Amino acid sequence: MPRPYPAVPIPSPEGGVIPPVLPVLPGLRGLLPRGGLVRGSVVAVAEFGLLCLALMAAASADGAWCGIAGIPEAGVLAAAGLGLDAERTLLVPAPGPAWPQVVASLLDGCELVLLRPPGRAPVQVRQRLEATLRRGRGVLLVAGDWPGAPVRLRVVTQRWTGLGDGHGRLRASCAEVAADGRGEAAMARTCWLWLPAEDGGVALAGPRDFPDGLPFGIPAGDQPGTLGAVPALQAAGG
Amino acid sequence: MSARGLTAGQPSRVMVVSCPELRDPDQSAPDQSAEAARQHERVIATVTGFCPDVEVVEPGVCAFGARGPARYHGGEQALAARIAAAVTGLGVQARVGVADGLFAALLAARDSAARDSAARDRDPVTVIPPAGTARFLAAQPVSVLADQVLAGQDLAALLYRLGLRTLGDFAAVPARDVASRFGDAGERAHRLARGLGSRPLAPRPPPADLSVAREFDPPEPRAEPVVFAAKALAERLHDGLAARGLTCVRVQVLATWADGRESSRRWRHDGLLSAAAVADRVRWQLDGWRPAPADGVDGWRPAPADRAADHDQHAEGGVTVLRLVPDQVVRATGQQLALWGETVPGDRVARAAMRVQAMLGHEAVLRPVLGGGRNVPDQVTPTPFGDKREPRLAADRPWPGRVMGAAPGLVFPAAREAEVTDGAGQVVRVSGRCELSAAPARLAVRGEPPRRVTGWAGPWPLHERWWDPAAARRRARFQLVTDDGRAWLAVVQDGRWLVEAGYW
Repeated sequence: MPRPYPAVPIPSPEGGVIPPVLPVLPGLRGLLPRGGLVRGSVVAVAEFGLLCLALMAAASADGAWCGIAGIPEAGVLAAAGLGLDAERTLLVPAPGPAWPQVVASLLDGCELVLLRPPGRAPVQVRQRLEATLRRGRGVLLVAGDWPGAPVRLRVVTQRWTGLGDGHGRLRASCAEVAADGRGEAAMARTCWLWLPAEDGGVALAGPRDFPDGLPFGIPAGDQPGTLGAVPALQAAGG
Repeated sequence: MSARGLTAGQPSRVMVVSCPELRDPDQSAPDQSAEAARQHERVIATVTGFCPDVEVVEPGVCAFGARGPARYHGGEQALAARIAAAVTGLGVQARVGVADGLFAALLAARDSAARDSAARDRDPVTVIPPAGTARFLAAQPVSVLADQVLAGQDLAALLYRLGLRTLGDFAAVPARDVASRFGDAGERAHRLARGLGSRPLAPRPPPADLSVAREFDPPEPRAEPVVFAAKALAERLHDGLAARGLTCVRVQVLATWADGRESSRRWRHDGLLSAAAVADRVRWQLDGWRPAPADGVDGWRPAPADRAADHDQHAEGGVTVLRLVPDQVVRATGQQLALWGETVPGDRVARAAMRVQAMLGHEAVLRPVLGGGRNVPDQVTPTPFGDKREPRLAADRPWPGRVMGAAPGLVFPAAREAEVTDGAGQVVRVSGRCELSAAPARLAVRGEPPRRVTGWAGPWPLHERWWDPAAARRRARFQLVTDDGRAWLAVVQDGRWLVEAGYW
């Protein structure tokens, strides 16, 4: 079971107390062990996509500055539709070979940094960045492989609605997102989401919303109703 | 003319220092002309070191009375040579001319510039002896009058057509005839040609040089002492500016290394930076100047605390001179932040962004601005951090013809080449009347295995800027869904398929 919400409040340098997690959109809370992005930690998403942008949206709307490094194709318009504040976003499309320094510098100023490292990051670099993270109060969101990340997310399958055979337009996408990780996030969980929903945001969905019936990826035993972590996830999400 | 002392009407000795490369900076490149202006200031400052009363004649040219300084420095030739050497030391080519009167001295400086380059490099100095000025002038072509008097161009052309090819020819014409034929301007030109009538110099002290510098002898190989010195320098700079009621828009940090290389970067200042903040920027600049480690691992220092030990040696042998130059000095009018509307980055964010800019360059850190436009890539304008935020295309227009619906999560910076084929394996074509040759069945993005198309919509035609042949383009847009659950924004342009964006 996920631990109850606040662990230890973090005193902020300006005085006062800052919450130990950065908020995420309500639809995504169930995927994360404390219902948000724990400050000082790494969250790894298997591949860059709308899920990464959705994870940043609520924190950005809440006033946090976000950095996006190494992802020149990040769709700012879609991110803004999900709730990201473009005014409080820094883009470093090409951090180059010095990307660890760039990310460390960004983490000095931004509370949330989305990074796609070029290739697999060497272990020393990862450890140093994690140490930098723990000293600060930011969250590093990695689009790609990050061994040892406490929380890992991936889009298992996805289907768009609204497009027919020569007519219509893309309206919404129903996606199955899986989460696992280490420690309190060790228990695997899955979640059906409208990503994006027709209004551009993120909403909870069910497997029955999936267009054209069940996708190919789900084993026969994993029928609707028996999905592993759904009860726990609803408890955390509420 | 007596050999010693002054007589009434005798022009005084004038020395002119001319830097041809600063005279006509390329106006089309504002950066370059600003650089020329800065160089000009430094040249003037250098010349002022020899003689305080310097008149700036035009950009890159200054003049002063040579008599006193020449006596002090041991003769005109010696003084001119020293000035030429000092200005050349700034990296600017200088020509020095000495003659009776400003006009002759200007010509003398120009004369030394006009000689062939081999001779010029040997001797940038032309001294016309006091008795020789008339002869020197007489040999000059009349075209030199062109920019000296009103309508001089016409006058010079006219004189040339009349067969008066040199100033000597012109000077030989009686003054009375010149006045009756050529009027006031002609008379003035005639006086100039005779070596008379040069206006007296109007020296004014040039604006004080507000830059501050610190030399390190021996060169300082570690960053910390340089940063420490930078803080003191920044305080001096701020004091100097504040005493005159000024502030600067940007501050330029110039570090010269022992091997002669220079690192120069301009930092936004706006009168907001404290001395410690300036010192921080010097530190970032020195950091950024260090060669990047090849593997990105060994040279990386994660925390400022580890830094002192890390800066053991700069490969370049250390810093010899650190100079802070205020750029765009303006009157200090205080600072008023916008009441609403714009998000002003906080100190921490600005520091972080500028640190990255110090490493990767100004253009590397962007803030997106949402705007309008018909194509997906047009709708976001990335502006470098610190620049004015303005969308390329206004957001409040209707932009008919843009793709509606969900926005793509991936917008490829350059559209990716692709191939869309029908069931028979033929490339799907779009006719001028927007008719498809067949329904799309497969999408193969270059570099990836082909995908089966499970749903599609389009074509949505777009004919943009048809009035401008260079920018005009016709394209048909499609949305495609493929069997892996992804969706794509594909475009046909000039018969080629491109993928502009991805929805996932």
